Amino acid sequence: MQLRPLLLAAFLVLALSAVLADAAQAVWSGLVIAENVPQPAPIPPELTGLEQTLKDLFGYNQFEVIGQSNKTLKTGQEDWLANSKYFGLHVDARGENDSGYSLNLKLYKESDVLLETDANLSKSSPLVIKGPQVGSGQLLLVLVVKDDEQAHRRRHAEPANPITTAWQRLRRAIHNALP
Amino acid sequence: MKTFEEKWTAWLDGQLSGKELAEFESSLPDLAAAEVEKRDAQKLGAFLKEQLTTQAMSNEEFFSHQLHEWIARESPARHRSTSTWWTIPRLVWSGATALALFVITTVVLMSQHQPGEQSEYLTQILQSRVDPAANPNATISIFESKTDNKVTVLWTEGLQSLPADYAAK
Repeated sequence: MQLRPLLLAAFLVLALSAVLADAAQAVWSGLVIAENVPQPAPIPPELTGLEQTLKDLFGYNQFEVIGQSNKTLKTGQEDWLANSKYFGLHVDARGENDSGYSLNLKLYKESDVLLETDANLSKSSPLVIKGPQVGSGQLLLVLVVKDDEQAHRRRHAEPANPITTAWQRLRRAIHNALP
Repeated sequence: MKTFEEKWTAWLDGQLSGKELAEFESSLPDLAAAEVEKRDAQKLGAFLKEQLTTQAMSNEEFFSHQLHEWIARESPARHRSTSTWWTIPRLVWSGATALALFVITTVVLMSQHQPGEQSEYLTQILQSRVDPAANPNATISIFESKTDNKVTVLWTEGLQSLPADYAAK
């Protein structure tokens, strides 16, 4: 008879852990002008993790955010706009899947669509799109899935879900073992 | 020489006869009362005989019932202890079957990820297009960065260049 409350408590802990593990995430989308200048400004904090990659890929020394949006996704069906004076990046999220979010992206120059893309944005893989040349620089579109601020704090305050962690390790092990 | 009690008992049982019976009945002070007492004694005897016989049968049956119950209790227990479905060969076969099912399931699940297919851990570009009228020479390519942060890059070439004013915030 003492087993039943114990099982119930374990189930509640697991359910709570699962909910926390799947806590809301945010997609940061930015319009970035990359250019070479004699005195480059520090890279914006949103791009800190990508600084070296962007420099290696495009060969510019300064990256300036001219428009951005940080959208917290709850249903995975939201849409939003990151605007600069002349450009607009419309992002239409069309659902969440195992690896991330299914997105439709449209880059507008005023009212003209310059580029349209359908992508599965992975939670662990940022997306960078090389846009048109602008003056001496280059327009870049950057999309990154980030943990929501509150979820991030909560996850750091509490231990990771051991079952989720074990499952991920098992998947990685099987994935690595097979050719 | 029989005492009165012996003769009385014999008379009640109907074992006196002849001269002995006549002498005994003539010695009784009240023959009619004695006859009534004799009939009562015979009735009591018959009743006791009947009851005692039934009681003896009842005990026998009770004992037999107890014996049957004891045999019934013992038999399945002995049967359980000597016979089970989980014999060693069956255990081995069950284990082998479970292992085979696990391997098959794992292979089937893993084969859903085709070689050369983009990993689910990377961002996937499903389709992409530019306005062909405004950018007739535009080309699109997709690759992944070699760095640790696994950036997926959609690389366009030939898009119409724009003046520096368009870099305004």
